[in-house]
Amino acid sequence: MKHGLSKIATGVVAGVLLAMGFLVAEPVAAQEGIAVRAPMVKGSLPADDPNAAVWASAIPATFPMSPQVHWPNRILEATVRDLSVRALHDGTNVAILLEYTDPSEDPDDAAAIEFMVGDKKAHFAHGQPMAQVEGGPVNIWYWKNKDAKGVDMNAKGFGTLSVQPHQDVKAKGAYANGTWKVVFTRPLTTGHPEEDTQITTGGFINIAFAVWDGKKDASGELKEKGSQKAVSSWWYFRAEAPPDYSGYYYAALAVGLALGFQFILIRKLKKGQSA
Amino acid sequence: MGGSLLKPVILIGIVYTILKFVVPNIPGSAPLPASLIFLYLMLTTSGIVIFATLSGESKDAFWGPIQRFLTGENIGSLQVLRYGVLLLFPLIVGWQTYNSTATSDAPPAENRTIHPAPPGEYTGLSNPVAKTPDTIQQGKGFYAAFCSPCHGGNFDGKGPAARGFNPPPANFSDPTTIAMLQESYLFWRIKKGGVGLPIEGMPWKSAMPRWEVELPDEWIWKIIMGEYDGAHQSPRTWE
Repeated sequence: MKHGLSKIATGVVAGVLLAMGFLVAEPVAAQEGIAVRAPMVKGSLPADDPNAAVWASAIPATFPMSPQVHWPNRILEATVRDLSVRALHDGTNVAILLEYTDPSEDPDDAAAIEFMVGDKKAHFAHGQPMAQVEGGPVNIWYWKNKDAKGVDMNAKGFGTLSVQPHQDVKAKGAYANGTWKVVFTRPLTTGHPEEDTQITTGGFINIAFAVWDGKKDASGELKEKGSQKAVSSWWYFRAEAPPDYSGYYYAALAVGLALGFQFILIRKLKKGQSA
Repeated sequence: MGGSLLKPVILIGIVYTILKFVVPNIPGSAPLPASLIFLYLMLTTSGIVIFATLSGESKDAFWGPIQRFLTGENIGSLQVLRYGVLLLFPLIVGWQTYNSTATSDAPPAENRTIHPAPPGEYTGLSNPVAKTPDTIQQGKGFYAAFCSPCHGGNFDGKGPAARGFNPPPANFSDPTTIAMLQESYLFWRIKKGGVGLPIEGMPWKSAMPRWEVELPDEWIWKIIMGEYDGAHQSPRTWE
């Protein structure tokens, strides 16, 4: 019995240490921040229909909005305080649905989505220059009610907002019961990586939002226009990759190995006992 | 059975409890990382094994019960526990493997430094404005006009425009903000704003305006006095 003991002992020690490592391992990190997640759908995207039933398959993410107080001209109170965002993709195109409360439908009601372009970080306020960090440009997708279309734009600093020569973004708004629903659509990737954000499935990219209430005050002036708008900070966006089951395969393999380890260990122990 | 195994198990339990719950509560200490706790537990276990296998007698006393438990020989009611262990071990291994290989569903972790080091020219500046009830009052007036929409009329970071911004505007009444900083640091932060931060401060996310393009330096120094007075805090000094 004593003969095989040291071999067996090594095995038991290895097993105990392994199990102990698992017990003190860090729990999976809690999710930080908020992200818009676009699940992949089969069939065509509801590019022209903000009320399509398929939108229910996307979980909405809600983002708080602030009046734009970061640079002049400022606004100290904006109409829209929260923005609900859903997104879908079909492997080729992405559709993003913005939904928010606005008491009145006005021709100048407008909304925009902002992305960083390329690998460089861009300041959320129009990609304005940063003192110690070399920033990149932002790509802005803009929609205005009276124009009834999407506009694909770029900016790198205040006063540099420009409409791209190549327009890849489509947008469609629908107003009902005090709520705007605006859908933006674009191919996930374009031929212009210097100007357009490129969306690859499975990776997180930065996203920000802006909304203008196009209502006019008593003197006929627009309450919100230009830099006077509701804005959000940078959040995250991800077009979900097709489901990946490899984690389950690896887990099954590990269970098999652990069972094998136990089986061999106990067999050896029993042999040792009978010897 | 198990008498000789009880002591090692209790010892490991005590070591774990001390490392996990007692050490972090010692003044000046901090919670230990899981990897370090694991290392200490491994050392403890190795020590126990070495101690238990010093003589042939103690070796048998130590391994005998483990062996009997694993083979299930004459362990009576512990048989249920044995099956539990044999079932649980592969499941834990499988679960941990899944957790470590499955693709992460969380956005990238952000380790933003809240108070990064200021550029050299902004260290050690002293407030050139005389501190009088008048200048403090002027500072509070400027604060109300320019800063309170985000940082709040109560200096608590909860102004009406704060809600959408991430990172949130600083709460000056919190003892870990301006009370930990010198006036020269605030002067830098107000003057250069969010875009003046170094990369570890993630300047692309900050909504803090670059006030140097809108306010004269003297107003900024007065705002600093108004801020400390209003938030009932004092600047940090090196004495």
